[in-house]
Amino acid sequence: MTAVVGRGGGRAGRSRGGGASVATQMSVLTVHTVRTLLADRRLLLITLLEPLPMLLVFGQALSGLARVPGFPRGVAYIDYLVPALMVTTALQSGLQSATRLTDDLRGGLVSRFRAMPLWLGSVLVAQSATGLVRGVLRLATLVGLAWAVFGYRCRGGPLALLLAVTVALAVAWALGWAFMALACWFRRAETLQAAAGLAMFPLMFASNAFLPVAALPPWLRVVAQVNPLTHGVAAVRALTLGRPALPAVAATFALALLVTAVAAPIAIRGVRRTA
Amino acid sequence: MTSAIGTKAASATGTDAIETLAIGKRFGPVVALDGVDLTVPRGTVLCLLGHNGAGKSTLVDVLTTLARPTSGTARVAGFDVLAEPHKVRRRIGVTGQFAALDDRMTPRATLVLLARLHGLGRRAAHARADELLERFGLAEVAARALRACSGGTRRRLDLAAGLTGRPEVVVLDEPTAGLDPVSRLALWDVVRGLARDGAAVLLTTQDLAEADRLADTIAVLRRGRVVASGTPGELKARVGSRSVTVRPADPAAAEQALRAGGITPALDPARGTLTVPAASSRQVSDVLRALDAAGIDPGDLTLSEPGLDEVYLALATPDSAGSARDDSVRGAA
Repeated sequence: MTAVVGRGGGRAGRSRGGGASVATQMSVLTVHTVRTLLADRRLLLITLLEPLPMLLVFGQALSGLARVPGFPRGVAYIDYLVPALMVTTALQSGLQSATRLTDDLRGGLVSRFRAMPLWLGSVLVAQSATGLVRGVLRLATLVGLAWAVFGYRCRGGPLALLLAVTVALAVAWALGWAFMALACWFRRAETLQAAAGLAMFPLMFASNAFLPVAALPPWLRVVAQVNPLTHGVAAVRALTLGRPALPAVAATFALALLVTAVAAPIAIRGVRRTA
Repeated sequence: MTSAIGTKAASATGTDAIETLAIGKRFGPVVALDGVDLTVPRGTVLCLLGHNGAGKSTLVDVLTTLARPTSGTARVAGFDVLAEPHKVRRRIGVTGQFAALDDRMTPRATLVLLARLHGLGRRAAHARADELLERFGLAEVAARALRACSGGTRRRLDLAAGLTGRPEVVVLDEPTAGLDPVSRLALWDVVRGLARDGAAVLLTTQDLAEADRLADTIAVLRRGRVVASGTPGELKARVGSRSVTVRPADPAAAEQALRAGGITPALDPARGTLTVPAASSRQVSDVLRALDAAGIDPGDLTLSEPGLDEVYLALATPDSAGSARDDSVRGAA
């Protein structure tokens, strides 16, 4: 898949021998990073099962939430919940990309790459692409488990489910870049996790993920309405419930694009910086 | 050995592969490099000798484009490290003080990945990896995860990794630190082989014997300055090729006795030893005679080759024969 793109496509001044083109760098590093992801079976298993506790806690213990005022009539809580978990799972997938990146930045091969004829942004692109692979696997596990064990059904049909997964992946991609930008500047997994934790809980709970916005206290309603996650959840939920989804889907893609456009340059500047 | 390592042969003759002019590097108030001038012609090895904190690694970082100098200029393989870092990176191979490798990967996977990133196609990358594995005696552990490999293996892989791109200029930061004697000899062999194939090698070390063995030119770095440089022979001639150390019961009395005999010893009060440069065996007997005249038993007597400390002592102190400033000139051109 790579070799053909490789040789000729170098940037001006880089086509001479010694140093792969940027396209080759990206594909070689992506293949390498995906392989690393798949090679660590234990970590992969934990990663895949991570959404399970949320599914249990909300799907079973807190399923009474379906009786709050403003909850859509005739919708099972599990059908309401799974779309939200798809988006929060995507959020965590983004964080995982960034955590892996801090590992790589702390030593290992990336420190060698700095003295090689490479565009270091390739490392980030590879990590981001690997994040998508991880995201697909996690979303498949989540939906599969919800389907088989908890009686989840996608009313919108298979095509809507596919589109819903795509929307969730767009969220994962964008937030992956945002968290990677943080990772490039913090450089330490602990700091990154702490900062992400700080952002993650308000994002997840001050939103429409687990309750309709109408059921939130008034001040939280305001927060939930500006929370980008609310748009993502609204889009995925509308799709899977078979409701009109176009505005929410468009808004989510636009937001994802905006976040990526801001975060990616910051991340790329940050990774170039020597520790 | 062979020339199988394969570095790009020197195409433009006459130009120096590494050339620095008054390189300075400050970290806030700390001066790490204070006007370093060096030249390394193609096909030669320059050993940069110095203690921890002398500035060796900072200089390595500057030459490998990892750190920007705060003053001066440096050209590596013909390109300015500040103006054209990318072209420099394409022509250098770096082996760091701490192995920059991924523990989860095997030696073969590491070398194939790096070869691919250097622009080799899939097949060529595998061939290059196999060639390096063979050359560095890594073939047997090629498929073993690195975390299960010994320190010597890691070090050899680190060096092989630095050579995947067939560099014109090879920079090795303390490559033999912590290696067993056999691996060390093998590595010395490789370094000489690189120079024979036309690469310019800059190697940092704290070990004078290593520098003596490998270097065409030695530069002694101290507090960010080159305090002396020359061929190993030139430096040794100035340091004295060996020294004699005695451990008498009363070091102070022995010191007086030696001074009375016109000999100036270096007293190590902590160990109770006196050290005197002794290039010839006559100078050794002079020491013994002076002590004997005062009726002092020399106690333990050892002859030793000069170490880095002696070099510093002889070359770096202002009142020694050649003053530091006069010597901070270029290495052999």
